[in-house]
Amino acid sequence: MSRTRVAVAMSGGVDSSTAAALLLEAGHDVVGVTLKLTDASGTAASIGGRCCSPRDIDDARATAAQLGFPHYVLDHTAAFRRNVIDDFVAEHKAGRTPNPCVRCNEKLKFGPLVRFARAIGAAQLATGHYARVEHDGDGVRLSRAVDRDKDQSYFLFGVAPEVLRAVTFPLGERNKDEVRAIARRFGLANADKPDSQQICFIPDGDHKAFVEARGGAGPAGEVVDERGLSLGPHGGTHRFTVGQRRGVPTTSDGQRRFVVRIDAATGRVVVGPRDALLNRTLHVADLRWTAPPRAQGWPLRCAVQIRHHASATPAWVAAPDATGSTVSLDEPAAGVAPVQAAVFYDGDRVMGGGWIAAPPIGDGPSP
Amino acid sequence: MIYLDHNATSPLRPGVGEALARAYAELPGNPSSVHAAGRLARDAIERARAQVAAFVGALREEIVFTSGGTEGDNLAIRGLARAAAARGRRHVVTSPLEHPAVAGAVAALADEGFRVTRLPVSPAGDVSVGALEAALGDDTGLVTLALANHELGNVYPVAALAAAAHARGALFHTDAVQAAGKLALDLPALGVDAATVSAHKIGGPKAVGAVFVRRGLVLPPLLAGGHQEHERRPGTENVAGIVGFGVACQRTAEDRESEAVHVRGLRRRLEQALVAIPGARLFGAADDARLPGTTLVGFAGAPGQLVAIGLDLEGICVSTGAACTSGSLEPSPVLLALGVGSEAAAEGVRISLGWTTTGADVDALLDVLPGIVARVRAAGVEPGVVGGLRELAQ
Repeated sequence: MSRTRVAVAMSGGVDSSTAAALLLEAGHDVVGVTLKLTDASGTAASIGGRCCSPRDIDDARATAAQLGFPHYVLDHTAAFRRNVIDDFVAEHKAGRTPNPCVRCNEKLKFGPLVRFARAIGAAQLATGHYARVEHDGDGVRLSRAVDRDKDQSYFLFGVAPEVLRAVTFPLGERNKDEVRAIARRFGLANADKPDSQQICFIPDGDHKAFVEARGGAGPAGEVVDERGLSLGPHGGTHRFTVGQRRGVPTTSDGQRRFVVRIDAATGRVVVGPRDALLNRTLHVADLRWTAPPRAQGWPLRCAVQIRHHASATPAWVAAPDATGSTVSLDEPAAGVAPVQAAVFYDGDRVMGGGWIAAPPIGDGPSP
Repeated sequence: MIYLDHNATSPLRPGVGEALARAYAELPGNPSSVHAAGRLARDAIERARAQVAAFVGALREEIVFTSGGTEGDNLAIRGLARAAAARGRRHVVTSPLEHPAVAGAVAALADEGFRVTRLPVSPAGDVSVGALEAALGDDTGLVTLALANHELGNVYPVAALAAAAHARGALFHTDAVQAAGKLALDLPALGVDAATVSAHKIGGPKAVGAVFVRRGLVLPPLLAGGHQEHERRPGTENVAGIVGFGVACQRTAEDRESEAVHVRGLRRRLEQALVAIPGARLFGAADDARLPGTTLVGFAGAPGQLVAIGLDLEGICVSTGAACTSGSLEPSPVLLALGVGSEAAAEGVRISLGWTTTGADVDALLDVLPGIVARVRAAGVEPGVVGGLRELAQ
């Protein structure tokens, strides 16, 4: 049995702990590493036990001690603030709803982790993500996890192939129940720890208060219908997300209204019927490719996923120009929100993706 | 395991563990109690006080036992600054190189409205008497400067610094935590008003230390409570810890001189080999102006924490700076204050030798270090592959 050294990124949760246990059982020389990303020590939030809180770091350390392998904490609080939190606040201020997890994976998490793995002479970096990565000559194939409910490939599209080459996801072939059973078999204390649902740096889930406390409040203004008629004032554009219904004034005809567009420059929040949320065409900027686009050329036939936990819609991706690509969905999709990621799949395989440009083209309802 | 992190903590010296065990077994009383059990515990504390006092050249009544260096620094600095403030002096002078315990205590004073001056330091981490004289004012109540720096090992001219402070009517405290056991200590001769020492840095138990307060100087307590330590530190004394501290002082005093010669010799050998590693640089003052066993070295392009982790995986213990601030790729405040730039300030690796260190330990370190440094340097992910790294490097 080979004693290959593997670095395991540990969040303190059951998934990464189980990944470490499986690698250890397979005979690897396991070294645990946890990134400290937020500095919530001493606050009520730190007790909550979400990803990367001091409590989670303690859990990761305890798992490593229990299983008997070394564990280190790398403090990247300042870089996380610069790359993820500041961006999150600025995007909210500009009337957009970013996905900080994709950004963290792309801009922050994997860089220091791969560097750590190389620095300690580890052949690979393992994480507890539910996704599959296969090494294919010089290239890699990033695919959906076997457990479709837990699949996290959407969050990983921005990780460069050069980085993915050094990465392994031991849980990609397993489902969550199986993972919890393995954790119990190893006697891991966090076997039944709940999955984290919130954004790690907002443990109480109150995005509005978080953004406001950091100067990210968008301008107050009017809620207007699609014809521009005012439906009343609102307290700040950052309180709205495209597709949102809560807090939207009902119209005189009693129809349900949804946020369809946010204009932080004028403070206008445009609401409309559900149909107005539908988009058939979207522009995707800042493209990156996990797999080289297929040889037969453009447009690229694939399925496009525009949210975590949304199903992918068959689509054509046009040849990119300097600003990105135009994506034509076979069926209109609801709630296409600017700066959310659009990820291109060929079956289970992640081809690439980008960020939905603002504003969406808004050619929604079929006639 | 090869232990080269004596500035973080130094293993118990021979006889100290036994003294601790005996104290736990044979001294169950509370030293404040009137009965025989209490008297035995009281007597043990007072004997230890004499040992600690002898170790630093002080009188017994000048020694106040604390829970360690951090409490000692807080007690002395905040207590003396507040006492000075009662006389209208609300200015505190320190340096940007101080240990987090001192820096934190001074920051707490700043929050209370004290004016704080941090002295300029040279690129080698020197603090000059002239710079202190320039900073002193009629309202300066307290100057606090370490006797030796915890990361660099630089030894400071505390006798001259304290004299300069006194010339302007200010009190002088020194954090002697790193100097104790490595230099001959005679606190009254240095002329300081107060000083802090910690047991575990000299091979005593953790969580016990002492403040030296010059006779005649009133030190108001930080905590409210009982009358222990002559009203200066309420709370039941850590009897066994104090007994162990006393024994450690005695053992250290017996061995200090020969140890210093031995350790300095090993460090010279170490540093000669370190500077031969390409891109290596030593931080701090010249060899004879540093503690015998402290080396702070940086390898260009290799973050210190990754080098320390690489060594740990080979069974060799070193650190990146004060244990209180490590676990971080963030630059060291001490190195930042020297003006080395934020990249180099994150490259410091502290190797601190002590009473257990042998030539074989140094050789084992030198066997693996060049390879680890090369591997860490090669691990940098190419710019552009992961956006975050470029920003991290800034």
